[in-house]
Amino acid sequence: MTFTDEVLMAYADGELDTATRQQVQDAIDRDPEIARRVASHRALRDSLRSSFDAVLSEPLPDRLLSAARAVARDPAESRVVPLRRNTAPVRAWPKWAALAASFVLGAVALQFGTSLRESASITERNGQMLASGALQEALSNQLTGPRATQTPVQIGVSFLSKSGHYCRTFQLQEATSLGGLACNEAGSWKLEVLARGEASAIQNPQYRPAGSQLPPAVIQAVNDNIAGDPLDAKSEALARAQKWHHTQ
Amino acid sequence: MSAANDDLGEQIVQLLPRLRRFARSLANRVQDADDLVQLAVERALSRSSQLRPEAQLSSWMFGILRNAWIDESRARGRRTRLFVSEELGENIADPAADRQADALSVQEAMARLPVEQREVIGLVLVEGLSYKEAAEIIGAPIGTITSRLARGRDSLQALLGNGRGASA
Repeated sequence: MTFTDEVLMAYADGELDTATRQQVQDAIDRDPEIARRVASHRALRDSLRSSFDAVLSEPLPDRLLSAARAVARDPAESRVVPLRRNTAPVRAWPKWAALAASFVLGAVALQFGTSLRESASITERNGQMLASGALQEALSNQLTGPRATQTPVQIGVSFLSKSGHYCRTFQLQEATSLGGLACNEAGSWKLEVLARGEASAIQNPQYRPAGSQLPPAVIQAVNDNIAGDPLDAKSEALARAQKWHHTQ
Repeated sequence: MSAANDDLGEQIVQLLPRLRRFARSLANRVQDADDLVQLAVERALSRSSQLRPEAQLSSWMFGILRNAWIDESRARGRRTRLFVSEELGENIADPAADRQADALSVQEAMARLPVEQREVIGLVLVEGLSYKEAAEIIGAPIGTITSRLARGRDSLQALLGNGRGASA
């Protein structure tokens, strides 16, 4: 009786049903060549196992322990992807934060799934993350306030930043509790921060949008950047008419 | 929710050694492998609601880690790499591998396998999962898993110079 290599392999891996296993066992006893092939499958298995088993006794890196423990305690904070070193909180991503911004798009895609990339909501230009597609459209044209549920992007609050740019917070409908802050510079919406997480208590924020589900990192970024008060409906409409270009 | 997540975090801590071992079978460099584990842990905690009560945590976590690795592998060539390339990684002295010349060659051989063979070898031969479990994690029929495993074994035997095991 001859056996395919796959059957002998499955024998070595303990994957055969009782009847077939017995047939292979009988063949091994009769045929040294079959015995040799099975032994070679087993030897490879043992060799792989012993090579990688050394990993089990290595000390666990702190960053993995804290990923399991710290993230569990505060899921919102640790999934912040900092987009700009000077404004965004670094927190759990020191390594990624240290990378050039051109890496960040990849990090964002890994972090938030492929939906952002596929819907082309975010692009990268000269190392800067920019809103595109539906996100850009909403940031440029949509006024603040609750929208119909079909709207892919919800705009939270608009304000003038300390550096004299119009900024707006947003949330993406397709990904619950994914929110960010974008500021208009030279006609483009630059992303300041993008984070996933539920609203949580920040101590006495200067400003918090009513009923906001914005991740804490975004609220924090608003409070760090806002000059004065958020725009009211009239100023917002005016800013839109001026294509979000602030003139002193 | 928070208490349940804390509990999950502790269960994941228990799994970390195995997750690191599996990751090391996929990504040769320690740093890259641990990046994958970290990503998988963070993804798992953010998706804890998707863990079905009857599902095994280890299989679920292996699946998340595997998908993170696939995402990374697919993204290669389309954008700047997040991780150091494999070729570079192979040339960087790895203190853990220096201990055993034999282990180094097995890991080098693994790193040369195609992605779809490496993941099956990692799950079945390194982690000791059944073909069925591996098939569920990878999302392929058992027949596909079996043939990838056979081809991967052949390549490894050839790379390790243990003689060709195949002659069906």
